[in-house]
Amino acid sequence: MEEYSREPCPWRIVDDCGGAFTMGVVGGGVFQAIKGFRNAPSGIQRRLLGSLVTVKDRAPIVGGNFAVWGGVFSTFDCTLVYLRKKEDPWNSIMSGAATGAVLAARNGIPAMAGNALVGGVLLALIEGAQILISKIGSEQFKPASPMDLDYVKGFAEGSQQ
Amino acid sequence: MNDYDNVSAYGTTRGRASTLSPYLNFDPSYLDTQQPEFIFPEGASRQRGRFELAFSQIGASVMGGATIGGATGLYNGIRQTALAGHTGKLRMTQVLNYTMKQGANVASSLGVIAVMYSGTGVLLSLARGSDDEVNTVASGAITGLLYKSSAGLKTCLKGGAVGLALTSAYCAYTSDRIRNFFK
Repeated sequence: MEEYSREPCPWRIVDDCGGAFTMGVVGGGVFQAIKGFRNAPSGIQRRLLGSLVTVKDRAPIVGGNFAVWGGVFSTFDCTLVYLRKKEDPWNSIMSGAATGAVLAARNGIPAMAGNALVGGVLLALIEGAQILISKIGSEQFKPASPMDLDYVKGFAEGSQQ
Repeated sequence: MNDYDNVSAYGTTRGRASTLSPYLNFDPSYLDTQQPEFIFPEGASRQRGRFELAFSQIGASVMGGATIGGATGLYNGIRQTALAGHTGKLRMTQVLNYTMKQGANVASSLGVIAVMYSGTGVLLSLARGSDDEVNTVASGAITGLLYKSSAGLKTCLKGGAVGLALTSAYCAYTSDRIRNFFK
């Protein structure tokens, strides 16, 4: 049951933080492995060792950044759900903007505004893609309208004479 | 005299039968009110699977690690800046740096351990086709070995032993099967 696969709101924050951390560690691990492999001196053993060392050093940091982003985003999302008393894409977009702003807070107000814009646009794109996919996916369940059937059309036209 | 005077709660004495609900004429001993009754979809298991629990375990480890590391960093930062005699904005920045650095370190360490534990647990349960305490203990041991694998053989084995001990203790404490075995 898809609508029950997400936790209710306070626990959703922990779930999203964990999910974001996992994505960061796995994605960052792959990325840093390739980077470490390429930056190591030649010889397959040194390259593999370099790859391993880079993953050990950098992947947790990437994971931590993703986790912070995910946790802050989810916190804002749950707060908006509680305040507005509904769940819709606007919550996600506003949360994305707020998260971008908060995470740039150390760099001053113009940086916060710029990051907020980027975050909001990014989330708007993601939500738009989700709405598009769900719209296309629901076409298969559309019931056939009786007015589209040929003999009904003929009947309707005939009766207008 | 109203219509319901000569009717018992289960409708076994029919006064005005036409006004009674057809749902009231059954033997109540058919109801089993001792066990909780849940509706499960087709093929669903009674317990939440490892993969569902994984993200909340990982998230809890990260957030718990951030809290512990942040508290330790805060304490260290306040002590160190007091010893060094910093004041005002410099002190605030330094304390903040200590807190966030230590918090991030502990959070990502605990998070990586949680990811390894959950990942190996899910892989083991998929490979074995069943989910039980053996998976928990084995993935604890593997996580301990893997986490310390780059620090030399002795440390690696010590890490594996620590992982094994922790998960065995958890299983011994919470698992129903092991408790019933020793009763």
